[in-house]
Amino acid sequence: MSLQIRDVYAGYGRLEVLHGVSVGVEPGSIAAVVGANGAGKTTLLRAVSGLLRASSGSVRLGDRDVTRLGAESIAAAGLAHVPENRLVFPSLTVGDNLTLGAWTRRRDKTALASRRAQIVEYFPRLAQRLGQAAGTLSGGEQQMLAVGRGLMARPSVLILDEPSLGLAPRVIREIFAALARLRSDEGLAILLVEQNVRAAFKIADHAYVMDRGRVLMAGEPSALLDVERVQQAYLGGGYVRVSVDPADEPEAAAPAKPESLPGPAR
Amino acid sequence: MKKRSDVVGVVLLLLVLLVGPLLVPVSVAGAAVYAVIYAVAAIGLSLLMGLAGQVSLGHAAFFAVGAYTQAILVTRYEVNGVLAAVAAVAMAMIVGLLVGLPLLRLRGHYLALATLGLGIIVTVVAIETPFLGATSGIFGIQKPDFGGRVYDSPDEYLWLLAPVIVLGIILARNLVDSRIGRALGAVNDSEVAAETLGVDTFRLRLKVFVLSAGYAGLAGVFFAHWLAVVNPNAANFALSVEFLLIAVLGGLGTVWGAVVGGFAVEFLDEGLRDFIPVIVPGASGEVQLIGFGVILTLVMIFLPGGLHQAFRAVTGLRAPRSGSVPSAPASEGRIDPDQGKIPTNLTSQGSPESVGEGALLVREGRPAPGTTLLEVQGLTKRYGGVVAVDDVDFDVAAGEIMALIGPNGAGKTTCFNMISGVTAPSGGSVVLSGQRIDGRKPHVFARHRATRTFQNLQVFSSSSVLGNVMVGRHLRSRVGLVRSMLGFAARTEERAIVAAARQMIGMVGLAEDADRPAADLPFGRQRLMEVARALATEPDLLLLDEPMAGLSGAERRELAGLLRRLRSGGMAIVLVEHDVEAVLALADRVAVLDDGALIALGQPDEIRTDPAVLAAYLGVEDDDPEAAAAVRDLAAEDAEGAR
Amino acid sequence: MSDFFQLLVAGLSQGAIYALIAMGFAAIFSVSEIINLAQGEFAAMAGLVALSATGAGLPLPMAMMVALLTVGIVAVVMQRLTIAPVKKMTTLTSIILTLGVSTALKALMLLIYGPEARGLPALPGSNFVVAGVSIRAQDLWILGITLVVASAVVFFYDRTVLGKALRACAEQPVAARLVGISPRKATTLAFLIAGLLGAVAGLLASPISLTQWDSGLTLGLKGFVAATLGGLVSIRAAVFGGLLLGVLEALVAGYIDSGFRDAVAFVVLIVVLVARPGGVFNRQAQARV
Repeated sequence: MSLQIRDVYAGYGRLEVLHGVSVGVEPGSIAAVVGANGAGKTTLLRAVSGLLRASSGSVRLGDRDVTRLGAESIAAAGLAHVPENRLVFPSLTVGDNLTLGAWTRRRDKTALASRRAQIVEYFPRLAQRLGQAAGTLSGGEQQMLAVGRGLMARPSVLILDEPSLGLAPRVIREIFAALARLRSDEGLAILLVEQNVRAAFKIADHAYVMDRGRVLMAGEPSALLDVERVQQAYLGGGYVRVSVDPADEPEAAAPAKPESLPGPAR
Repeated sequence: MKKRSDVVGVVLLLLVLLVGPLLVPVSVAGAAVYAVIYAVAAIGLSLLMGLAGQVSLGHAAFFAVGAYTQAILVTRYEVNGVLAAVAAVAMAMIVGLLVGLPLLRLRGHYLALATLGLGIIVTVVAIETPFLGATSGIFGIQKPDFGGRVYDSPDEYLWLLAPVIVLGIILARNLVDSRIGRALGAVNDSEVAAETLGVDTFRLRLKVFVLSAGYAGLAGVFFAHWLAVVNPNAANFALSVEFLLIAVLGGLGTVWGAVVGGFAVEFLDEGLRDFIPVIVPGASGEVQLIGFGVILTLVMIFLPGGLHQAFRAVTGLRAPRSGSVPSAPASEGRIDPDQGKIPTNLTSQGSPESVGEGALLVREGRPAPGTTLLEVQGLTKRYGGVVAVDDVDFDVAAGEIMALIGPNGAGKTTCFNMISGVTAPSGGSVVLSGQRIDGRKPHVFARHRATRTFQNLQVFSSSSVLGNVMVGRHLRSRVGLVRSMLGFAARTEERAIVAAARQMIGMVGLAEDADRPAADLPFGRQRLMEVARALATEPDLLLLDEPMAGLSGAERRELAGLLRRLRSGGMAIVLVEHDVEAVLALADRVAVLDDGALIALGQPDEIRTDPAVLAAYLGVEDDDPEAAAAVRDLAAEDAEGAR
Repeated sequence: MSDFFQLLVAGLSQGAIYALIAMGFAAIFSVSEIINLAQGEFAAMAGLVALSATGAGLPLPMAMMVALLTVGIVAVVMQRLTIAPVKKMTTLTSIILTLGVSTALKALMLLIYGPEARGLPALPGSNFVVAGVSIRAQDLWILGITLVVASAVVFFYDRTVLGKALRACAEQPVAARLVGISPRKATTLAFLIAGLLGAVAGLLASPISLTQWDSGLTLGLKGFVAATLGGLVSIRAAVFGGLLLGVLEALVAGYIDSGFRDAVAFVVLIVVLVARPGGVFNRQAQARV
């Protein structure tokens, strides 16, 4: 299932944060959304997963319009949102967190055990910690757990809010490697919101740069990273040019190209 | 300071109480006596709930203290009724003070339940203590006797009660519209913001709590004389619930609501007692409770603002406490010279619209430019295993603008929270003007001539823009609770407060929005209002947390201009911003945080090209650990060199 | 010394009742941060409904079933009608709101059942004396059933997926929604559980303390005090708190003065709230930042 976000306006009370955002992700691909704080990235994810109601625009999962649905229903429809700050259930064990991740498919008890085993394969660090209370895990492990929890219900679309926040580079690499695997193994459509532009652009097939509630630019990550405007969006003018080493390929197999780009870049 | 509606209300009430009894049957007048007595108690409770935002589920305890004290003094010791009344009210207030001191440290529902416990404890003590008459109580309390007339009929008792409740209303209304009322209203809207403007929330809440106990005690005095008997039922839970119902039904925080509510509930009570046994034959006992319960529930669900909310909806009146104090004309820049607290620099700006060139808000007595005002050393914050801020050091001097930047989650707002007293540090120290203030409450920060604005706006949404900024003058004005209630002394000061507030509003360019409700403003202008509000405290140190978010380019330039002028006046400003471009152009020095640690500190030009800073914002090259380490070492060296 | 044990037995028996009520408070608060002051009314209602049922000729076990069913329905209806519609629910609002509901329920019971206090027949069994301490059969029933019920509730929250889902809702409502758990439905379930717990308490207490229209007042308030010893979130602590409170009350009444019995709970309440608002037994006094 693809995720298509078209022209979404959303905000909090009278404060409008998103001013007509359009983003799309195809199955078997990763789209990164980057931008400075206050750009509206978290608000975008909340509007997609139903925590926040969009005031106009549409969110579609596959061919199903889910714009007006509540978060619980959207989860049941096959979208998993790994929230900012992970939000694991701290007093429940790692195993229980994962079990609850499959809440929308709890009837199917036999599949539960095998799915858990699969998840632990993606994140081996969780294996020894299944009986441990989730609140005692390190930041990186909690992030892995949060992603694993999201995967338990076999979603078709996975959206993640700044998974690298507060994590050491090595851990970030592990998690992002797992995301790349998921893209190919399970054909997920993955929408990755990040402040860590480098790490995100390394695994993304497509990228969007947001600024103050709008999509500023969209396109191939390698092309975007050279653009001064991205740097401007973060740091202002006159900087040392940063570029991605082309020899540095993502570890997973070559990703499928997205079939359609949602809307023209500005 | 009386509004026309108050005067009309008082006249109507006097008519009802003085003339009304002559026109209605004795039973109605009798019910009215209870209505007025309970209304007096409910006024205090309404002030407590509406103004101080605290719920008391045991307010009958203070009612009983007043009633018992009066009863004992008058019957056992034959003290003069008026003197005894003074003692009874004092007693209720003392008990309120003793109880409030520990309990008001609790928040919200904890306090409510503690007061519920209090009410029950008082009932039990009354039942068990022989001195208080145990279950029979104290009886034989005589009716009041003044100038040869004994006030023993409902008509006469209402005449006696009339001046008491009118006085109670006037004092309460004065309080609601005063500086103290304004401060408490601000606490209700945003306690943290009110504290950072210098409002000592605990002390104010305690004062209102004691005051509400006094009102309840006074009501108890009149109850004792009317009933001629005081027994443990005076403190019972059902009575506390009735007071609560009166306050909620009338509209929390509205004095007139408590009065109208008192009548409404009493007559409802009488009506139900008559009516229900007709429908349900054989019904006896406290049947009116069903009406109370249903109404309380329905009001809470459908009309939380009570009758006052309904009244406003029907007549289109403004909300209570809208800062609508009679104001000096907006364009008049003259400040009353007797006040002496407003620096004369303010008055020389001419039109509030122009962005002039001169220094702003110069203050005599402010440390000279270059003097260190704020010293932060080893500042650390831990949440469980997570270190949000890690051993941060920096100084800020008068007459400088320091920027604090860094990626999301770097700990900038946490630093501000620790410096301003909103959060206690896990380690390290914050020294302001030579005094350690880490771990102290925000109003202490404010008393040291420092204040801040907030990343998540803390607008006082039940006030106008003017009302918001007037709270900023809290520390620059002095009329306290008692003088506020008495009213007359406060008028001069209020005028000065309004004038100063309008100056500040003009300074940030919001003059035409001054009288609009703050909640109606667009986001960016609300930010400017927060700045004006902060400036109204006349700080020497100003912390601004993302003041530019939501502002247009032109507005950002204007704000930057304003900040430069404030710097020229000798103010120290620390700025957290994400518009790094704007901030690098404005700041004298820049501190960069990443992951809780200070990774760079220096001049804007150095920071711009610092590789560690770039790495922090864009993401470290994680497949080259040696390079990453080298970059960090370089950054550490830079940071050392810049100090 | 047998005095002490006699008081202990009586205290534990009464304390078990408080424990059941306290669990009801914890069940609701832990999921929704709502304090339900009508919890005591669930107990009173169960007693009165069962009394009517036995009065109408039903055997005791059936009457109890009817009472449990009725109270369960009332609790769910209460939540749907008065709690769910309130958009901005704070703990404080919930207190005043449920206070209104509890007042209305009390008065309703007064109207329907009149003011007299009556007691259900005791559960079968004979009283006996052990080492100078007399123990009623009802005391054993109370302690036994409370133990079973408490174990079942703890098992529910600790071991079943549904129970864990409820805990998850309490700890991280946002993340719970994102995996498809509905906090609304969780609150309804919590009210049902609380209603049933209150009903059991009322049915067990009735033969000893008698039931009348306002029995719920002190019972509810004391159960609440017991729950605060666990910070209002811990089921286990609620049970310990209830037993502890019952014993304290019995000792104060026996050794100091029976009149101060009712004050004990509220002195404890104030002391706990001022000293440790997070609860005395609650190990994870985690602040919700």
